[in-house]
Amino acid sequence: MTEMNFYYLEKPTLLNLKRIFSSGDIPFIRLSKFLESLSKYSEPKLNRQEKIGYYKRKEGNAILEEFWSSSQFIKFLNDSTGLKPKLRSATHISYSAGDYSLLHTEEDESERLVVAYDFTESWKQEWGGYDLYTSPDKDPLICNRDPGSLMIVKLITGDLSCTRYVSQKATSAARLDRAVYDLS
Amino acid sequence: MRKVDKIPKIRTKPFPHVVVRDFLDTATLDLVIDALAGLEYDFKESDLFSYWASVELTDINHPAINILRDDLGDKSWRDKVSKSFNVKNLSSIDMAAYVYGLGDFLLPHDDQVEGRIIAYSLHLTPEITGEMGGALNVFESDSEGKSKLTDSIIPEYNSLIMFEVSDNSWHEVSEILMDIQRLTVTGWFHD
Repeated sequence: MTEMNFYYLEKPTLLNLKRIFSSGDIPFIRLSKFLESLSKYSEPKLNRQEKIGYYKRKEGNAILEEFWSSSQFIKFLNDSTGLKPKLRSATHISYSAGDYSLLHTEEDESERLVVAYDFTESWKQEWGGYDLYTSPDKDPLICNRDPGSLMIVKLITGDLSCTRYVSQKATSAARLDRAVYDLS
Repeated sequence: MRKVDKIPKIRTKPFPHVVVRDFLDTATLDLVIDALAGLEYDFKESDLFSYWASVELTDINHPAINILRDDLGDKSWRDKVSKSFNVKNLSSIDMAAYVYGLGDFLLPHDDQVEGRIIAYSLHLTPEITGEMGGALNVFESDSEGKSKLTDSIIPEYNSLIMFEVSDNSWHEVSEILMDIQRLTVTGWFHD
């Protein structure tokens, strides 16, 4: 069974997370060792997806598909961000050598909460592959690969995100479950 | 001075492009490289690229750069370029120098900005090979955006690559894989 780290469910922690989330230029929190346990899972079937000049990567069903829509996790998002998110989509994405996504891929996006859980197994920073979140007139937010961590970020209309080009020298893939929630 | 007088036959697929070898004579080449070595380069990085760029070279008054600007953009050459590509008259060029070092790249894009008709890149890295990276890769793309690499052009020393800018002119500079400095003078012919 997939279980969240107990620490992140404690009331003082949740209050602190909510404070941190609300204080950033781009509202975000990053939680290392987010899961206490992870259900045994089979590797998702990934399909190569490309739109030249926009993205090149592999995509499949989210490994934690049920978890991202579970009442327990939705309640956690509500408690830690103060938002009322409704799951729009959940995908497993893999970026290997030569893959990328570019910021303008999200030009038509409206307000959303993005949740990314890092399944990367081993990574060198010089391979790139980090996640980047930008907002007009604000400092960009760079998230290096950090296996087992969960990123929660609120993006509004005009905010963009991408995954940095992965070097041809990379010998493993940057892998993440990415869930997007609509905000009401 | 320009060493070549003729532009080879334009390759039409996946979009019109051409490689002109031995573009400059040796004396000019040496002067130009010396001049470019004396410029300042700023590191530029975005989701699309990573490289070092000089200031716009059309604004610089330097004997060797002035010669290069004429060699790449005088009326006689512009007329040859427009005739070879069968495009309307070309009125001007812009130019800047770029250095790609280890790990630098330029991801696929089509170069489309209003007024750009022909893109060019003069390559100034001696003894560059395919294993070093830095090739100019050109792609064919289907209606859904899936790409197919159709040509990988090694940027040979003193070669000038030109292509027509269009919806289909997808190209990239592949990642530099060794500790080299890939030096180019790049810009566009405008209408």
